[in-house]
Amino acid sequence: MKQKPRVAVFDFADCEGCELEIANLEEEILDLIEIVDIVSFREVMKEHSDTYDIAIVEGSIMRPMDERRLRSIRSKAKILVALGACATIGGVNKIRNQWMPDEVLHEVYGNADVKGNELFDVFKTKALKEVVPVDYYIHGCPIDRDEFKHVITALVLGKKPEIPTYPVCVECKKNENICQFELGKFCLGPITRAGCKAICPTHNSTCEGCRGLIKKAEADCVKEVLERYKLSYEDIRRRCTMYNYGREECSVDE
Amino acid sequence: MKQAVKIITKKDFLTLVNTLLQNKTYDVVGVKAKGKRYVFDTLNDADELSLDYDVTILPPKKYFLPQYEQLMKFSLEKPFEVKETIDDQPRIIIGVHPYDIIALQQTDTQYLDPPKDDFYKKRRDNTIIIGVDIQNVSERSFAGSMKTHMTETGFDLLLTDLGATYAVTVGTEKGSTLLKKYATTKDATSAEIKKIKDVRDNIAKKYTKKVKVDKKDWSSILVANYANSFWEERSDFCMECSSCTIVCPTCFCYDVHDEVSLNLKNGQRIRTWDGCMLRGFTKVGSGEVFREEPKERYRHRFYRKGNYLPERFGFVACVGCGRCGIACLPDIADPCDVMNELASFGHEEDTGRFFIKQKTDAAEKGIIHIPRSATIKRAEVRSEIDTLFEIELDDKKPLGHAAGQFVEVSVFGYGEAPFGVSSPPSDTPSFEIMVRKVGNVTSKLVSMKPGDKVGIRGPLGNGFDVKALEGKNIIFTSGGTGMVPMRSLINYVLDKKNRGKFKEITILYGAKRPKEILFMSDVDQWKKVEHVQCELTVDKCDANECWGGCIGVITTLFPKVRMDKFDSQNTIVVVIGPPVMYKFVIQCLRTMGIPEENIIVSLERRMKCGVGKCGHCQINGVYVCKEGPVFNYKEIKALPEAFE
Repeated sequence: MKQKPRVAVFDFADCEGCELEIANLEEEILDLIEIVDIVSFREVMKEHSDTYDIAIVEGSIMRPMDERRLRSIRSKAKILVALGACATIGGVNKIRNQWMPDEVLHEVYGNADVKGNELFDVFKTKALKEVVPVDYYIHGCPIDRDEFKHVITALVLGKKPEIPTYPVCVECKKNENICQFELGKFCLGPITRAGCKAICPTHNSTCEGCRGLIKKAEADCVKEVLERYKLSYEDIRRRCTMYNYGREECSVDE
Repeated sequence: MKQAVKIITKKDFLTLVNTLLQNKTYDVVGVKAKGKRYVFDTLNDADELSLDYDVTILPPKKYFLPQYEQLMKFSLEKPFEVKETIDDQPRIIIGVHPYDIIALQQTDTQYLDPPKDDFYKKRRDNTIIIGVDIQNVSERSFAGSMKTHMTETGFDLLLTDLGATYAVTVGTEKGSTLLKKYATTKDATSAEIKKIKDVRDNIAKKYTKKVKVDKKDWSSILVANYANSFWEERSDFCMECSSCTIVCPTCFCYDVHDEVSLNLKNGQRIRTWDGCMLRGFTKVGSGEVFREEPKERYRHRFYRKGNYLPERFGFVACVGCGRCGIACLPDIADPCDVMNELASFGHEEDTGRFFIKQKTDAAEKGIIHIPRSATIKRAEVRSEIDTLFEIELDDKKPLGHAAGQFVEVSVFGYGEAPFGVSSPPSDTPSFEIMVRKVGNVTSKLVSMKPGDKVGIRGPLGNGFDVKALEGKNIIFTSGGTGMVPMRSLINYVLDKKNRGKFKEITILYGAKRPKEILFMSDVDQWKKVEHVQCELTVDKCDANECWGGCIGVITTLFPKVRMDKFDSQNTIVVVIGPPVMYKFVIQCLRTMGIPEENIIVSLERRMKCGVGKCGHCQINGVYVCKEGPVFNYKEIKALPEAFE
């Protein structure tokens, strides 16, 4: 049998919830380790190796020291996969990009003396692809376990993973949900990448855009919908702050 | 036909439903409330039924073509182990409105048109439809003006609310048996039968939304407005979410993909709903998207409903349910609004057709889902990206293809992709395909070795009519991978047995660069045959590549054709190449005086099902997989999407 690909899981600024989703595969982890060798995964094991084929990286990049570490991971990995919204689009960590790093430090740490300590040497939050090339993306906050399995099996089989480039509405409508707009709520589903099986609207919660936007908030169709539902451009910008702050540019190729 | 009409009290009807529920033979589905909307869902108790609903969120098509449907299971460990997974659960659907019944009849036409879809057929046979006449009209529905607010056929039983009782119109033997077995009814009096008509007449009056264009005129209005700026203006507001097609009872296009288990031991082939509003709908392996502009996709949906399917089957594929109007956030999807607006532009009578009636027995014999087992006999790497495979069907029967036909090749776990057959028709069980590495299936295929198993569906589509080429001069013009199916035809024509039937042969072949020239050994052979002129060109040639021939696009070869030797009227030109090539080649042929009807083309689109069902390969009203891929230029040029 061909040698199994060696997989390492890393994390940066995040809640580790997406890694937890992998750990939550539970008995299916036995299937996972049948097809790959997990050589590093701090959240679930103490062993570590610097020799790996696929790096799965969670979290956002906040500091020069993060950048150095990510570049080192990239140099060792044949394939780099961004795991979860913090890694794929910056996610909630980008909320703080509304302010200057100094202001943020002051807000959190007050007058504590953090100067010269590299742990506190922060710049504006970056998604992984703003630092190194990313090969594949597993979107979401948290990720969808089935999509994780799809990406891993695809990579082991040598396939290009198929990640939807259409909006959440497609999956939401297939689930036969009542549209959140019809319920008088403001949902980002129409401009957010699908792949989550429309989990939030299916559980009667609006989409918050965690899988990234696939249409610009300035697009004519978005303006039209906002107008119809008596919403303003400000409303949509505010809603996009949670996961998509500063992301005017949208790309379906991620 | 005179239908029996029975009367059942409402109480007895609920008892009937509860008896069916206890009986457990059937999955009993009915209309239930979901918040302020309604859905078809499995019932737990007859009391859950809301038969006075206006419209459900999704139509009942989900019970015949589920959103997510397993077609087969396969093993990734064993060479070729695949098992069809047909759902044979008997089901009763209670409360289907007439417009949805009509939509199901339309779906039947598409899915039972040869080759029929067994999965759909099985579900249809196993389902009893208990319809109900509309009691409350949805605000967005315009079924009244579409005459789809009532139906005489398509149901097993149909309920009409007469107050304390339901009148039950018996539509089929199946319905009659069910009623006799489980319910007490009495015959309807003539007064009660008259009341049914009154109920229907009353409901027709309740529609405030009306389409002003008669159904028979949709087609010509659409033809006249094809180039109208209306489509672009409206599509600027399109969210490209395909909600309109998902909720539509007459949208039944699908996609198929393979899923594998995490341990990579087995997998399943899944059919899901697809939507023509999505950009990926027309995307082929090489990355080309045939309806790239939102305007083209937006327009396609209305033309499919109002022109393409009417031309093909004789019905407007809109039943006026109004679901798309409710679902579309920018509110641009409603066919009633669109047709009324188009009608206001005025139009001249019939200006053309977007459909070609061309369907042969061959195209109707295709296998629709489960492929035949086959073995790779030979794999020859022909270039960095091209590999030639010889494949043998394991049942040792010949493929039986004509030149120009294609096959769908399955690699379980990776999916299925179409390939033109590149070997000439033969009696042996093996045939050849050329595989260029572009997508997931092709990337896997090129890594496969002799002895490995693949699945084959086919031959599919219509090949070349070789009889029509007899006694003619032929100019074969191919660009890029267009040489793959062309080689099948050329080798047939140049075969010693057949050569005498054809006159002067000219072969023109253009490739991007020297290393992408396919079938070089064949080309060398062709050059040696008498009365054959063979000319090659490449778009460009790197300094390190060896090429002594012509450089330039395919049209640079035309001046070399020795037209003085033969008469253009008696010359047939066969053209196969990338989409961009046709326009320029055809211009050249015009100047050479070749009549349009003497030009034969083979076109490429996203051929997914290969049997005219899934909808991906459409050029306007034509399914390339079923009516094509070989077309006469004079006929196909009337289709605006053909060479755009």
